[in-house]
Amino acid sequence: MDADKDNANPTILNPSDLPSRRRSTPAAKRPGIFDALAPAYPRLAEPPSSPEPSSASSDSDPDSDREEIDSQEIYDLISTISDPEHPLSLGSLGVVTISDIRITPPPSPRSRISTVTVLVTPTTSACSLTTVIGLGIKVRLMNALPPRFRVDVRIKEGTSRTADEVNKQLADKERVAAAMENLSLVGVVRTMLATCE
Amino acid sequence: MSDIELYLFEADKNKMEAQRVATQSAGRLEAKTLKLIDLITSLEPYINDKDDGSIRAKSVTYLADVLSSLPPRVLSGQERRLLCDFILGRIEGDAEGIGASARALIALEGLGKWDADTVQKVLRTFIDNTHPLRQFKLQTERYALVQLIDLLLAKYRDALRQLHESDHEFMTGFISYFEGEKDPRNLMIIFSLLQVPMTEWDIHACAQDLFDSVFNYFPITFKPPPDDPYGITAQDLKDRLRDCIAANSDFAPYAFPQLLDKLDSTSMNTKRDVLHTIQACVLGYEAKTINLYSVTLWDALKFEILNVQEEDLALESLKALGLIAAKFAETAEGPLNAYLRPVIKECNEHLEDAPTKQSEATGRILHALAVSGPAVADKISKGVLPVLFSLYNGSQSITKRRGLLDVFNHIVAAYVELDELQPNTNTEALQAYANDALEAMIRALVNAPKAEVSFRLASLKGLTQLVSTRNALSEKEGERAVDTITDMVLHEQFEGHGDIRAQAIKALTDVAHSIPLVVRDRSVPAFMVELLDNPSEGSVLAPVLEAFAQLSTERQIFDTIALRLKNKYGVARHQGAPQQYQRSLLLALLYAFTFGAPMREDGIIRSAYYTEYAEPLLTDIASRPAAEQDHSTLDIVGRIVNVLLRPQGVHFQSTVYNKNLQWLSSAGKDEMLAMALAPFTLQYYAGMKAEVADAEDIVSVLKAQAHLALHASSDPVGVSTVLRHLSLLVNKFINPKTMQATLEASGIEVGVLLSATASSQAIGAAFAVVKGLLIQGKSGALATRYLQALLDILASEGKDVARHFATLLAPDDILSKENHCLVSGLYKQKIFNQSVPFMIDAVRTADASIKPNYLIALSGILRWLPYSVIEPSLKSLIAPLLQTLDLNEPAEQEVKASALIIFESLLMHDPTIVAEHTASLVTRLLNSTAGPANKADVRAKALQCLALAPRQLKREAVVPYRRQVVKRLQACLDDTKRSVRTEAVKCRTAWLGLDEGNEDEE
Repeated sequence: MDADKDNANPTILNPSDLPSRRRSTPAAKRPGIFDALAPAYPRLAEPPSSPEPSSASSDSDPDSDREEIDSQEIYDLISTISDPEHPLSLGSLGVVTISDIRITPPPSPRSRISTVTVLVTPTTSACSLTTVIGLGIKVRLMNALPPRFRVDVRIKEGTSRTADEVNKQLADKERVAAAMENLSLVGVVRTMLATCE
Repeated sequence: MSDIELYLFEADKNKMEAQRVATQSAGRLEAKTLKLIDLITSLEPYINDKDDGSIRAKSVTYLADVLSSLPPRVLSGQERRLLCDFILGRIEGDAEGIGASARALIALEGLGKWDADTVQKVLRTFIDNTHPLRQFKLQTERYALVQLIDLLLAKYRDALRQLHESDHEFMTGFISYFEGEKDPRNLMIIFSLLQVPMTEWDIHACAQDLFDSVFNYFPITFKPPPDDPYGITAQDLKDRLRDCIAANSDFAPYAFPQLLDKLDSTSMNTKRDVLHTIQACVLGYEAKTINLYSVTLWDALKFEILNVQEEDLALESLKALGLIAAKFAETAEGPLNAYLRPVIKECNEHLEDAPTKQSEATGRILHALAVSGPAVADKISKGVLPVLFSLYNGSQSITKRRGLLDVFNHIVAAYVELDELQPNTNTEALQAYANDALEAMIRALVNAPKAEVSFRLASLKGLTQLVSTRNALSEKEGERAVDTITDMVLHEQFEGHGDIRAQAIKALTDVAHSIPLVVRDRSVPAFMVELLDNPSEGSVLAPVLEAFAQLSTERQIFDTIALRLKNKYGVARHQGAPQQYQRSLLLALLYAFTFGAPMREDGIIRSAYYTEYAEPLLTDIASRPAAEQDHSTLDIVGRIVNVLLRPQGVHFQSTVYNKNLQWLSSAGKDEMLAMALAPFTLQYYAGMKAEVADAEDIVSVLKAQAHLALHASSDPVGVSTVLRHLSLLVNKFINPKTMQATLEASGIEVGVLLSATASSQAIGAAFAVVKGLLIQGKSGALATRYLQALLDILASEGKDVARHFATLLAPDDILSKENHCLVSGLYKQKIFNQSVPFMIDAVRTADASIKPNYLIALSGILRWLPYSVIEPSLKSLIAPLLQTLDLNEPAEQEVKASALIIFESLLMHDPTIVAEHTASLVTRLLNSTAGPANKADVRAKALQCLALAPRQLKREAVVPYRRQVVKRLQACLDDTKRSVRTEAVKCRTAWLGLDEGNEDEE
C-alpha cells in the first residue's frame, strides 16, 4: 500500500526537540505555582472606580513594545503544514528547520520591503512532491505575512535532484499564480494547510 | 351471528373491535359457555373456504387471537395437543395465514409446555412446508415465524439437538430457510437464534454453509430510517452478527480469510467492523484454532499500525494483536512462541533504523503485546532487549539512542501496568537489562547536552518507570535514580530550550509514590541543604521551594515535608531572613495543605494540623503591634488558618473561636491594627461556621468593619479587603430577619449610603452589602429593593458607579459554600432578571451622555453570567452589545472585551440570532482590531470573533464582506503583538477559505 510513496518510512523528529517559543522564554518569566495560591491581591474586588491604567495594564506589557516578526514566528507558521504523503508535519519531518529560515531587512532605508527566505529539505532527494511542498509554504506565507514581506522559497542546495527546476517554478510569480488556478493542486495545498493553526 | 362471523365482518374495518370479539370468545370458553369443539366447528366453512385465501387467513388469525387471550388451564392437555395437530395439519396443505398459525402455536406453547415430539414436529412441519421464509411477502408474517422458531430454540435445546443429530439433512434446510431475509427486526432474531446451533451443536459438517448464511450480511451497511419506531441501530445488528461469526471455531477457515480480505477495503467503517470482528473471533475461538492463523493475522494487522490510516484502526489492531497473545498466554507455550517469533524478528529489524515512523510503531506493538500477560512480557523482553541494547551501545547517534529508549520505555510501561493488575509480576527478563538501562539513562541525564530535550525526557520517563516496576531495580539502584532526579530538580537552572525541570519535578513526585522512603531519606535532606536558613536578598530559592512543596502530593511523605517547612520558617523568622523568603516558605506550606495529601480522618483534614501548624502562626500575629504587620504575610497565614479550620466540626471551631475572641475584639477597637489585620481576619471569619460565632460579637465586628470601610485611609488594597469582609458578614453571619435593622445600626443601610452626597467609599460599601445579600438569596425583597436603588443612581452618577456593577457577580473565593456561606442556587438568574431588562430599556431611552453608564453596568453584569442564563434574552441584548463595541475610552477596554466574549459564544451557539446584524457586527469587529486604541487582548478577541463569522454564518451573508475583511486584515498581520498576529492569520485564513469554497461550487 505504500509502494506509491516516495519515502514510506521517514525519520521523525520528536516534538520536544523542535524549536518553540515557549521553550526559549526564560523560565523565570513564567508564573510560579504559588502565584495562583494567594493572588497578590484579588484585582476583581478592587474598587474598579479607580481606573489605574498604570497598574492594570502594566503586567500585560505595554502595547508600545513591538514584538518583531522573527524566524521562530515564520517557523511556527509553516512547521505545522502537513506533508502530502504522511499525516506528519513538515517540522517533525525536518523538511523545514528554523536555521533554514532567514529574514533579510530592507536593503535601503527608503525601502520597506523585507525578504523571508525559506530553504526546504525534501525527505529524499528524489521526492516528487517537492514542488507541491514548496508551493504550500509559499501560499501559506503569502497569506499570513503582511505585504511588506517578500517570500522566497527555495530547495536547499544539494538535497534534491530537481532543485533548479523547482526553484525556477517557485520563483516565477506567474507560474505560482497559474498553479493556484489548478483545482486539483489547490485541493492538495488546502489539505496540507488544513492542519495549520 | 356467530363470533367468527362477527370477527370476519370487523377484521378489515376495525382491528380493535375484531380483537374484542376474539377476547369475548376466549371469555366464553373460559366460562364454559362455549365448547372448544363448537368453536372449531364454527370455523369450518371459513377456514376451508376454497375460493378466498384471505378469509382462510383471517379465520386462522381469529383462532390465534382467541388462543392468545386465553388464561392458562382452560384447555386440557388433550385439547391443546389436538389444536396443535389441527394447526400443523392445516399448514401442510395451505400456507395462508401462516403468521397467524405461528402466533397460535406460540400462544398454545404459552398455555402448557410441549414434549420433545411435539417440538420436533412443529419445527419440522415449518421447515418442510414453508421453506424458504422469503416466499412470504409480509414482514409481520415472517416475524411471527422467526419468533416461533426462536422460542423453540430458546426453550427446547435438547429436543432440537436430537433432531439435528438424528437427521443430517435437517440442518441444510434449516440454514437455507432464512436465506434472503432483509428486514432488520427479523434479522435481529435470526442472528440470535442461529447462535444456539452455532455454539451448542456439532455443526462441523455444515460449518461453511452456516457461516456463509450469516457472513453474507457482512459488513452491515444498514441505516435506520428517520424516526424509526423500532429503534434498531446498525450497531445492534453488527453486534449480533459479530457474535455469530465468533460463535464456533469451525468457522475459522472461512472467517479469517474473508475478514482479512475485507480489511483491504477502502471504507474505514468496513475496516473498523473487520477489526472488531477479528477481536471477537480471537476471544471466541479455541486457542488451537487461533494458533493456525496467528501469524497470518500478524502479517495483516501490522500494516494498520506501521502505516496508520486512522488512529482508531491502529488502536483496534493493537488490541487484536494483544488478544491473540493473551489467548496463548493462558495455555501452551508452543503457540505463543510461534506467534511471537516473527513479531520479534520484525520488530528487531525496525529498531535498526530508529527513530522512524516504523520504530515508533514497534514500540506500540511491543507494548500492546507485553501488556497482555506476564508470560508474553517475559518473552518479548528476552527477544527484544538484547538486540535493543546492543544497538544502543553500538551507536553514537543521540537521536537513534532516543528512538531506542522510546521503545524500551514502551516495554517497561507494560510491566508497570501488569504489576498494577497483579502485583509480583515476574520481572526477571527485565531485571537482566535494568542495570544497563539505568546506567544509560543516568548518563543521558547527567552528561548529554541539555539541548537534547527528547533524549533526556525519554531517559527521565524511563527512569521513573523503572523505579515504579517492582523488583526491577535493587535498593542501591533505586537510590541512584532518586539522586539523579533530585539533582536535576535542584541544580539544573538551565534557561530556554532544554529546560526540563518541570518534568523532573513530576518525575520525582511519581518516584515518591513508588519508593517514598528513599525519597524521604535522600531527596528531602538534599532539598534542606539548598534551602538556606537566612539567604541573602537576591538569591532565588523560589524554584527549589516550589519543587519541594510539590512533593507533598505524596501522602506517605506529606508529614515530613510539612514539618520541615514549618521548622525552616521558624528558623528563617528567628534569624530575620528576607520577608520575601519567609513568605515563600509560608506559601509552600499553604500549597502543601491545599494541593498536597495531608492525613485525613473521616475525610476531613486532621484537626491536629491546626493545632500544630496554624496556632503558632496565629499566636505570633496576636503578639505583634500594627506597625510590624505585613499585609501579604497576613494574607497567607489567614489562608493557612482558613484551609485547616474550615472543615472542622462546630465543637473544635468554638474552642478556637473563644480562644481568639478577646485579642481579636480588642484589636478591632484599634483602627490602625484592625486595618492592618484585615487580610487575616477576612480569611479567619471565612473559615468559621455561622453557628460558632455569637450574634452580638458579630454585630460589633460588622460595625468595626463598616467604620473602616467608610472612614479608613484610601489604601485601595486594604479597602477591598474590608469590603469583601462586609460581604462575608452580611452573607453568612447576620440574621436575615433583622438584616435591615442591623445594617442601619452599623451605618451601612444601602438607602442611606446612596443618599444624595454619596462618597466613593459609601458606594463601595453599598455594592459590597448588596453583593452579600444577592448571593445569599434569603432576604429577597430587601436585596431587590437595594439592587434597584443601585440601578437608579446610574442615571445621575458617573461611570465610576457603573464600573462597580462588575463587582456584584465577580467570583470571590471567600463567598463560597466551602466557607459555609449561603449561596443560592439561582442567584445569577435572579440578578439577571432584576437588572438586565431594566438596563436594556434604559439604553434605548437614555440620553446620549449617560448611555455609556448603562452599557458599562450591563456588561459588568453579563461578564460573569454563564451563557445559558443569557441565552433567552440574546435578541434584545444584541443592540446594546453592539453599542458597547463603540465605546472608545481607554478605561472601557475591559467592557469591550467582555462584550466580545459574548459575541464569541453567540457566534458559536446561536449564529442565526446575529445573522441579521452581520453588517454592523463585521464593521465593529474590524474597528476593534485596530491598535493602539484597543488593547492587545481586545484586538485578539475581536479577531477570534471575526474568524467565526465565515464558519458560522451563511455564505451569502458573509461573502459580500470578504474583500473588505481580507484587505483590512492585512494590517493586523503586521500588528505589534505576536499573539494578535497569530489570531489575524487564523482569521484571514478563515475568510480566504470562503473564496476557495466558492470556486468549488462553480
